[in-house]
Amino acid sequence: MTGTQDAPPRLRDLRVVVSDGRILDEATTAPAAEPRHSTTAPVDGDGAPGPSTSRRPAAPVARAGAVALTGLEGQLVHAEAATASGLPQIRIVGLPDAAVREASDRVRLGCQRSGFSLPECKVVVNLAPGGIRKAGPGFDLPVALAVLGAAGHLRPDDLVGVVAVGEVGLDGRLRATAGTLPAAAVARDHGAGLFLVPVEAAPEAALVDGLEVVPVATVREAVAVLSGATERPARPRPPEPVQRHVEDLADVRGQALARRGIEIAAAGGHHVLMMGPPGCGKSMLARRLPGVLPGLTTAEALEVAAVRSIVGAVATDLDLRPPFRSPHHATSTAGLIGGGSGVARPGELSRAHRGVLFLDEVLETPRSTLDALREPLERGEVVLVRSQSRVTYPARVQLVAAANPCPCGHAGASRRPCRCRPDQVARYRGRLSGPLLDRIDLHLELEPVSEDVLVGPSDGEASADVAARVRRARDTAATRWAAADVPADRRLNRDVDAARLRHTVSATAQRRLARAVQTLGWSARTFDRCLRVARTIADLAAADVAGPDHVDEAIAYRLDTGPRPT
Amino acid sequence: MINDWTAVAAAGTDPRRLARVVARAVADRRGLESAWRTARRAGRSGSEAIGDVLAAPVLVDAGADDVAKSWAAAGVRVALAGDPSMPTRLERHDVVPPWLAVRGDLGTQRRSVAIVGSRSATPYGTGMAAWLAEAAGDAGVRVVSGGAVGIDAAGHQASLERPGGTTVVLGCGHGVAYPRPHATRGGLFDRVLTSGGAVVSELLPTDPARPHRVRSRNRLIAALADAVVVVEGGERSGALITASWAADLGIPVLGVPGDVRATGSAAPHHLLRDGAGVCAGPADLLATVGQGLDPSATTNGDRGADVTGLPDWLRVPLVEAWPRPLPTATLVDGSGRGAGAVLAAVTRAQVGGLVTRDADGIRLCRRP
Repeated sequence: MTGTQDAPPRLRDLRVVVSDGRILDEATTAPAAEPRHSTTAPVDGDGAPGPSTSRRPAAPVARAGAVALTGLEGQLVHAEAATASGLPQIRIVGLPDAAVREASDRVRLGCQRSGFSLPECKVVVNLAPGGIRKAGPGFDLPVALAVLGAAGHLRPDDLVGVVAVGEVGLDGRLRATAGTLPAAAVARDHGAGLFLVPVEAAPEAALVDGLEVVPVATVREAVAVLSGATERPARPRPPEPVQRHVEDLADVRGQALARRGIEIAAAGGHHVLMMGPPGCGKSMLARRLPGVLPGLTTAEALEVAAVRSIVGAVATDLDLRPPFRSPHHATSTAGLIGGGSGVARPGELSRAHRGVLFLDEVLETPRSTLDALREPLERGEVVLVRSQSRVTYPARVQLVAAANPCPCGHAGASRRPCRCRPDQVARYRGRLSGPLLDRIDLHLELEPVSEDVLVGPSDGEASADVAARVRRARDTAATRWAAADVPADRRLNRDVDAARLRHTVSATAQRRLARAVQTLGWSARTFDRCLRVARTIADLAAADVAGPDHVDEAIAYRLDTGPRPT
Repeated sequence: MINDWTAVAAAGTDPRRLARVVARAVADRRGLESAWRTARRAGRSGSEAIGDVLAAPVLVDAGADDVAKSWAAAGVRVALAGDPSMPTRLERHDVVPPWLAVRGDLGTQRRSVAIVGSRSATPYGTGMAAWLAEAAGDAGVRVVSGGAVGIDAAGHQASLERPGGTTVVLGCGHGVAYPRPHATRGGLFDRVLTSGGAVVSELLPTDPARPHRVRSRNRLIAALADAVVVVEGGERSGALITASWAADLGIPVLGVPGDVRATGSAAPHHLLRDGAGVCAGPADLLATVGQGLDPSATTNGDRGADVTGLPDWLRVPLVEAWPRPLPTATLVDGSGRGAGAVLAAVTRAQVGGLVTRDADGIRLCRRP
């Protein structure tokens, strides 16, 4: 399963073993690497080119750089190609997956249709080091370049420092593949001189600084550029940073309390649970949250784009709005946190990195699936271990969960009678308790919107106004926590540890909170969560120390989630 | 073990006799029930009927002893029909069971009222139940109900720690944790017992709650009360069974008028149509029970809640809305204050025990 016999295992060593056992330096053999095969290869019908090729001096081993991605991280690998005796075919070794193995046919036809003749013997391509898995059609282009090198269409010099990613079509055209952006980052980190990508994916690759990105449309163009026959195309422009359109908060009718809740959630980064009858505007509010959150920095947007790239979305622009993902409640655990055999792929959770993960009908989601979210939410990343790999995807998300108050959705509200049995309601609500829901700071109980409000004029504030306040509150919090030596990625009120938090809430307020927690029969755990929210409310009010009023408001954002005795 | 039987036998109950009755029930429940029915129909008194039941030879075996152990562990005292500890009301109303297993103090010398209704209660319903129960408890009237969630629980809860006390009539045995939130340690039933109330059952400790048993215990609820108030219930609510037992036994029935649109108003409105008394507040209830509003009751029982501590903008709309809840959004719009300020004020009122908040909005806990 490892490298072929004619390839020396040392990567950086550009030496070739010729058939008579002498070791030649590649540089010395390079000028001799003319397309001899087209003239010397036997074309008669005896079908046994082996003996004839073995007698002439072998062509050098050609190498092209490629990137083997494992999640967002990757490793530079080399596609080494050399001719060997055997039937004309391209054989790929070095732990290829099915897609990489199929590259042999795509590359063969792609090269031939591009006008390059291939040796009438076996060409072995080794993806070295042979111990790591290679997956996906992105290896087509480096394999093709190595094969063309082995066939003498490219000089070994042409391929020095070249890393390529892309899928080869049967006509020699190149297609973009998933993961171009992280691959480009890997290439840059390993000091790649040139990074060849299909034209389509070039802007995405250009997002990576300090990398010479060469967009090429076909195999022929790639060869022409590398051999110096044509001028190297201009460096592609990276995608423009844009702000995706997000619906405005002004469209939401009524729900003054929930708006306020959304504002607090945005300011403190708090996870939110919204509970209310169907049609009261839960998803409407959740969809508008990205418009209230501060925009992403370019670095953050790149993280988001990298995950998108892994799942195969070619970036045409760099979206500075926090992403918004709303997986269906029947989504599997693997679909949510990521999974799959071999190398696990990112799930909805990682696709919502730096943004909002909206779980509608959260009580319909199986408990096991919700519990799987717990640790990633805490750590800000998700680690997926499979037999072949261990990958880490980012997962700093703000969770917004929505639920109906009972199976039929109308419990508690007298406007439409609830048809559920009390024990059904108790069981349904019982699903709310649990480790994941313990991490949700803010609970919003939404009331049904009255008809008057529905037909009346829009009465809400625009997202931009709210976003400005959120921005200010976040800046206040970030400055304070920075002064308290909190690490940069834990400076949301959601993440700061409770001990630090208590220093910023007045003693009166804490006493009042303790009394309320006792009177209302809540668990002690609620105490810290209320403090967190109170801190954010104080930040929105530009108060240094959170006082009793802030705490009182924070208490109102707690639902009684346990079984209700009355 | 005769020791266990001595421990569980109520004052004036013969442990051996009790052991044999229970042994018969364990060995042949149907036989016991039919013998009991036959004897009662024949007009035999409770004590005589027990004698009839024991006419067949019975052996007190391990199964019966387990029952005694279970009762003893729960601190239950059991009285047989006709014994001095069996409430005379049950005998008088002719609904007496062969035995009654009692935890706590039944308070049989008190006047009492049954406050019953459906499990899926609206805030209005639980609010009314609590109001009536508070007033009754303060006036020294015992509140009897079925211990279910919803209206029953609101009634029991409100009468805790009040002079009248409260009695829970279970639809299952003492050894069965049902309804779960109430039967757990520190739950409603424990609080009923610590506050001087009683939890009773006419069943064996391991009998689970079954619809026919739950319906059947409604006759005990009716018979233990001097008046039955149906607060809320659907078209086929169990509260109607209690009410019809009460009507059969000649016990006054009252209905609490509700919102005509709410399904929970069906049962009380049905009763009102059939001639039940209107219960629009504690005064109606206490007048029916015969307790009247004695001076202490007027100051405690029917006194409005002191809401002067609330800011005007919160108090005025809440008082206007009572007993209906006020949607929080209306409060925010009407007050002209920010949502945050409104919520902070509501929290203060909530912690002070003046208001409750739920899906319908904010509501004063008691009549202002």
